[in-house]
Amino acid sequence: MAKVVARCLRSPRVLVAMAMVVGIGACAIFAGTLAPHDPAEQNLLSILTAPIWQTGGDPNFPLGTDSLGRDVLSRLIYGARTAMLVAFFASLGAMIIGTILAHISGYFGGAADWMIGRAVDVWMSFPPVILSLILMVGLGIGLRNVIVAIVLVDWTRFCRVLRSEVLVVTRNDYVAAARLLGFTHWQTIRREIFPATLPLLITLVSLEMAIAVVVEAILSFVGLGVGANQPAWGQMIADARQYVYQSPWNLLLPIIAIFLTVTAFNLLGDGLRRTLDVRLVETGR
Amino acid sequence: MPPALQVEGLTVEARIGGALVPAIRALSFDLGREKILGLVGESGAGKSMIGRAIAQLLPPGFVVASGRLAFEGQDLVRMHPPQRRRLLGRAIAFIPQAPLTALNPVLTIGAQFDEHLARIGSGNSTERRRRAITALEAAQLPQAGELLQRYPHQLSGGMCQRALIAMAFASNPRLVIADEPTTALDVTMQPPIIRLLADMQRRHGTAIVFITHDLRLAAQICDDVVVMYAGRAVESGPARAVLANPAHPYTRCLQLANPSMRVDRRTLYVMPEHMPSLQRLATMSGCHFAPRCPLAADDCRATSPPDVTIASGRRAACIHVTATSGIVAIEKPTVVVKTSSRSVLLVERLQKDYVISGRLLRPARRVSAVKNTSFCIGENEFVALVGESGSGKSTIAKLLVGLEQPDAGRIVLNGTDLVPASARTQKLRAEGLQMVFQDPYSALNPRRRIASIVTQAMEAGSRQASWDERLRRTEELLAEVGMPADLAARLPGQLSGGQRQRINISRALCNLPKVLVADEIVSGLDVSIQAQLLNLLTRLRAELGFAMLFISHDLAVVRHLCDRVLVMYRGEIVEQGPIETVFADPRHPHTRALISSVPPDEPSAMWAKLQAN
Repeated sequence: MAKVVARCLRSPRVLVAMAMVVGIGACAIFAGTLAPHDPAEQNLLSILTAPIWQTGGDPNFPLGTDSLGRDVLSRLIYGARTAMLVAFFASLGAMIIGTILAHISGYFGGAADWMIGRAVDVWMSFPPVILSLILMVGLGIGLRNVIVAIVLVDWTRFCRVLRSEVLVVTRNDYVAAARLLGFTHWQTIRREIFPATLPLLITLVSLEMAIAVVVEAILSFVGLGVGANQPAWGQMIADARQYVYQSPWNLLLPIIAIFLTVTAFNLLGDGLRRTLDVRLVETGR
Repeated sequence: MPPALQVEGLTVEARIGGALVPAIRALSFDLGREKILGLVGESGAGKSMIGRAIAQLLPPGFVVASGRLAFEGQDLVRMHPPQRRRLLGRAIAFIPQAPLTALNPVLTIGAQFDEHLARIGSGNSTERRRRAITALEAAQLPQAGELLQRYPHQLSGGMCQRALIAMAFASNPRLVIADEPTTALDVTMQPPIIRLLADMQRRHGTAIVFITHDLRLAAQICDDVVVMYAGRAVESGPARAVLANPAHPYTRCLQLANPSMRVDRRTLYVMPEHMPSLQRLATMSGCHFAPRCPLAADDCRATSPPDVTIASGRRAACIHVTATSGIVAIEKPTVVVKTSSRSVLLVERLQKDYVISGRLLRPARRVSAVKNTSFCIGENEFVALVGESGSGKSTIAKLLVGLEQPDAGRIVLNGTDLVPASARTQKLRAEGLQMVFQDPYSALNPRRRIASIVTQAMEAGSRQASWDERLRRTEELLAEVGMPADLAARLPGQLSGGQRQRINISRALCNLPKVLVADEIVSGLDVSIQAQLLNLLTRLRAELGFAMLFISHDLAVVRHLCDRVLVMYRGEIVEQGPIETVFADPRHPHTRALISSVPPDEPSAMWAKLQAN
């Protein structure tokens, strides 16, 4: 285990991505102390202020204000909190459901595998964004419902990818040997199969976080996201759309925030895949 | 006229962690035209590296550092690549080890043959087809015209190898490199393929480099042999003379480690440890065989031994050649093993069918893997199960240990029928019946420490032994299988194949089962490692007392280890009885075929199989 951590720390890809994720995570956790203003506080006297590097910038509002005079920097920081909450819990939920079903499907095979496989097929034939929009219409807006919607759409990704990994691991003789030594099915899965799928799982979770950030932004953009009282990047883009000619930075800044977050998670996923995947380690170097 | 292949001081170096290590050191031999030269050695000896050096297909990091590789006087190493390419596949042909992976699975045999003939430039497509058919018929493949339409997966391994031999000889090559051409095939396929190779060699007047791990086989078909150890030719000379009277201690030990088919059963000679890896070679001085050599003295460890000429054409790299013939396997006092007539495992009318599901216009079929099979194993008795691949041997193993459920029949262990699945029968099975798996790599969880693997049975079910208890048991078990206790904290990835197989055995023995099912547990291992394991099993039986069903395709191993033999053919046991009786007087034609496919031990004896036709 220590070896794996050391290998991760040698990979520049993982290090850069980790630094970015930690930075964004810190914004999310310490939003209250980091943000100079209350994100909902309106200063109707100074609306659409430019960021400080442009003429007319106000040092009070380093990244300017939006059409209601709310501080963009504070809203970005609180937006990070929303994005990270969704990314963390949605990918965790999708992971739990997907992993359990993948292990049942891959380990037991037969009828259970067939049923889960067909359920995934049907589920995946819906366009994912539309499916989550429909779910949001049904569930109503709110942070918890965004998470639920993403979990319900994205568990299939985990299920399908992990199932094939479980199938490969299950074919190893050491799994049969564990059964012969008297391991119950549960013990076999928990001690012999699950640990072997862990590297893939960590990689998938990291990639899923990037997807969750994008989906949350899309939902907030169309107004079916976390709700108007909670700052979210997608919502900020939607608000800034009308004033794009007066203050383009209001549109660009949340886009940059989404871009950086998604890139960080994708880089992390890719870097972890390269360092954790035993097959790549053995042949690649 | 220059010889077909002349190798002079060939040194191949590998880059290991910054340092250059010789993977082949100063190898020299001559292969005369129309002769067969055997390169004999265990895995890691560097014997396959010659073929790769000729084709200039060395693995990454390996380079020819010095020496000459002359084909009919032209040095292949310094030749222009386009010129070499013109020789390869035409004047120099290759026969691979695994015929199925050497053929392209998405092209028909005909398409691949045609491509090859077009490359060596022979006529238009009708003429090429005619030549392909002639070549396949010469390789004793019936209905060659029809065969050209088939895909590789529709043919057996033996047929694919015949097709590849036909292809190799299609260009009338003057040199053929055959790298273990029968190792991946069934035992009974070995004699006909070897015979075909010898036939083709005579007909085309080709020189052959025959790479093999089997000294007996090399003695039968080769004119000369070169025995290799850790990258160096340790002995060379006329094949039969080398086998009859080995000069190098390694050749002698290898011969004594190989179980015999004809002479009395003896204790196998065990060389300690295993062949040094390239990493270890980098820091070794003196003779590389010294750590395992019974004759090793201080002067052996000091300097690398020179090549000593023993007789004309016979050389050995050893300074103690005169003492070699004195090496004998230490006769251990024969342990009397108590076998009683009481049977511990009784198998009655066992049946297992597989359903091959139907496709469009093709109804589902039932195929019997095991048909109405009955046998019993007595207390402390070692019973062998032999047969070709696909005869149902492994299915029997899976049925016995419960990885598959039989369609009919009983499996009675100590008076209890194990077939009805219940928690009680599963528990009885786990305690009384264990399995040792074939592949030592797949059988050990790479994430568990050795101590955790060996005592895995102690964490099964509701039994949760404390870690102290498990470490104590690990120590006992490692001592039983002759491994140092400090391995307990290692991971399987740090062990060699032979060590892994010992761990594999010790895990199965943790609960002291009454019956062990061993599926081809020594087949992937080198002769010297195999000898270590066979002696270990014999000792463990005497110390712990257990019965074993030993599944194998190697009759010499079976004869050495077991008391009784069951011969399986197409899902049925066609012959059974005490080993000596069955092998001396086989009744079933399949048993006879199996026995005659083993080359004789005595170099002077002629292998009847090669003379037929």
